[in-house]
Amino acid sequence: MSPGPAALLLAAVGAAALLAHRTGSVAVLAVLLLAVCVRGAGRRAWPFLLGVGVTAGAVLVVTPFVETVGWHVLWSGPTVPVLGPLDVTSEELHGAVFQALRLAALSLAFSAYALLLDHDRLVQGAAFARRSALAVVLATRLVPTLERDARGLVEALRGRGVEVSGLRGRARLVSPLLAGSLERGLNVAEAMEARGFGRAGHTRAPRPPWTRLDRLAATGAPLLALVGALWL
Amino acid sequence: MALARVDHLSFAYPGGGAALQDVSLAVEPGELVVLLGPSGSGKSTLLRALAGLVPHFHGGRFSGSVEVAGMDTRVRRPAELAGAVATLFQDPEDQVVMTRVENEVAFGLENLGLPPAEIPARASAALAAVGATHLAGRAVAELSGGELQRVCLAATLALEPRLLLLDEPTSQLDPEAARALLDLARRSGIAVVCSEQRPALPLERADRVVFLDGGRVLLDAPRERALEWLRAERPAWTEPRSVHGRGSARELACRVADMSFAYPNGHVALEHQSLELRRGEIVALVGANGSGKTTLAKVAAGLLESQGGSVVRHGRAGYLSQDPGRYLVAERADEEVALGVGGNLERARTALAAVGLAAAADRHPRDLSSGERERLALAAVAVIEPDLLVLDEPTRGVDPERKAELADRLRREAPRRATLVVTHDLVFAAAVADRVVSLDESSEARVA
Repeated sequence: MSPGPAALLLAAVGAAALLAHRTGSVAVLAVLLLAVCVRGAGRRAWPFLLGVGVTAGAVLVVTPFVETVGWHVLWSGPTVPVLGPLDVTSEELHGAVFQALRLAALSLAFSAYALLLDHDRLVQGAAFARRSALAVVLATRLVPTLERDARGLVEALRGRGVEVSGLRGRARLVSPLLAGSLERGLNVAEAMEARGFGRAGHTRAPRPPWTRLDRLAATGAPLLALVGALWL
Repeated sequence: MALARVDHLSFAYPGGGAALQDVSLAVEPGELVVLLGPSGSGKSTLLRALAGLVPHFHGGRFSGSVEVAGMDTRVRRPAELAGAVATLFQDPEDQVVMTRVENEVAFGLENLGLPPAEIPARASAALAAVGATHLAGRAVAELSGGELQRVCLAATLALEPRLLLLDEPTSQLDPEAARALLDLARRSGIAVVCSEQRPALPLERADRVVFLDGGRVLLDAPRERALEWLRAERPAWTEPRSVHGRGSARELACRVADMSFAYPNGHVALEHQSLELRRGEIVALVGANGSGKTTLAKVAAGLLESQGGSVVRHGRAGYLSQDPGRYLVAERADEEVALGVGGNLERARTALAAVGLAAAADRHPRDLSSGERERLALAAVAVIEPDLLVLDEPTRGVDPERKAELADRLRREAPRRATLVVTHDLVFAAAVADRVVSLDESSEARVA
């Protein structure tokens, strides 16, 4: 599928998850997106899935304590200044599951976008703002490059007997990773200039025409969002 | 008429000393000029001056002139020179812009304003020329270093330049791939200026050799006369120094038996490989790109778990990565080295002194030159005094004189441990190793 229609479809699934009001519907959309990520990207999907799991898990844990809805109390805790009484009701728990699934579905839609789409063609599809589009492409490349750099740093440390573990151990890698990214950014900028970037009169490689599946996806995407708002 | 002419060029980077001093040379159409010289001699700076990146991109003090294809680089920006000149940089990872291979090759063509209908055909032809047609649909993040280097060469050749600048193009390639790359550049009929630290292959093909040291041209001569000069003045560049006193293998340090390994993406890196390393000997592990050398070395060092077969290791293993940029975690050089010995700065400074970096102990690792970073990395691993030392491509980007020093050091320290050297540099392997194990033919040769 061409990247434009695929991005539209993913956006529509994300919108449907955002607009749906049944927990079961959002769960189905999240599972669908999870399957797309795992099947399409295999092991590359793991860092993204970890991020999705951590953020959705955090929402699931925190929401019951900051919301004050419902009468069916499952657990009563102490009263905390500012937050008030720390109790958990079944309504709050249901709300937390719903919000966590919604966030997971949205994050998974973004993960599928980041992992599976040809970003070069997607952003170049915009017929204007070539420089900004290229900045988006470079930013997209940054994720796997940073991931590879981080793996390399950890491996080099292990190669001299230093195990990297825990938040503190990993935090030590942030500064060298950022410094390395800055160095690489300069090198890439130099290489771009050497390859004629910024010269007047640039053109663009032709994009392949849309297939029937592309047209179907582009047409179906708004309908999917509408279905999400009205019936899911 | 010369295609490129450098006339009394002197240049200093902002805040730095002279990188080039009164350099003059001319490059004729279709000529292959090989640039040699120690690390920091100004080779890369000269290539950047020919591409117009010096001074436009880097700034600094520039005097003299550089003219390429009739264009004065003081007046024309690098982007305007693109097309007439193309550069293949040393590290492919630092020059890739797009996320997909075919888009990467098309990037330069789009910048040059080629008619859209011609771009796919030119990109495909360039990929075919470097034997990388099968990579066209791949994401660049999935490619190995050797594959990425070929894609970058394709992106460069697609521009059909009149002058091709190659900055250590074979540093990540096995000998066969390096030969193919240089032959391709030679056959293209394009004038080529090639900077190299593994000079044997380029010297076989060169029309002319330029030797730089301290930013000055010490030699600019046709191949035959240059070889005579190198033999007399810089023998390390033509004949590897033989290292005397081979070691005698003693007790077992590591045995990898019938080992197989596959990466999570399904790529089978090794099948039923065995390797034995004994204290006192140096073993060189050679083989083509993708033959599994690094995987086997990492298994031996305990960084990867073997899948099938068995690995027995006696004592502690140390592993030196091929990228010295991975030894830049701490704020000072001595603290960086001390990471492996629980922060013991005294041991760290001793290790730094052993690699000639005693004076750099309080400097930030990122302020060190590339050659100094390599030595820092070696100190960071050697300080833990491993029973098995694994060095992955330790001569990448290292000039022949430094390689000879490294070989001397490894031989001197060989009795203390078992040493495994993973390398594409067959000359270095022959100079330093007691045994050479090739993964291409699964064969083993003992060095006399």
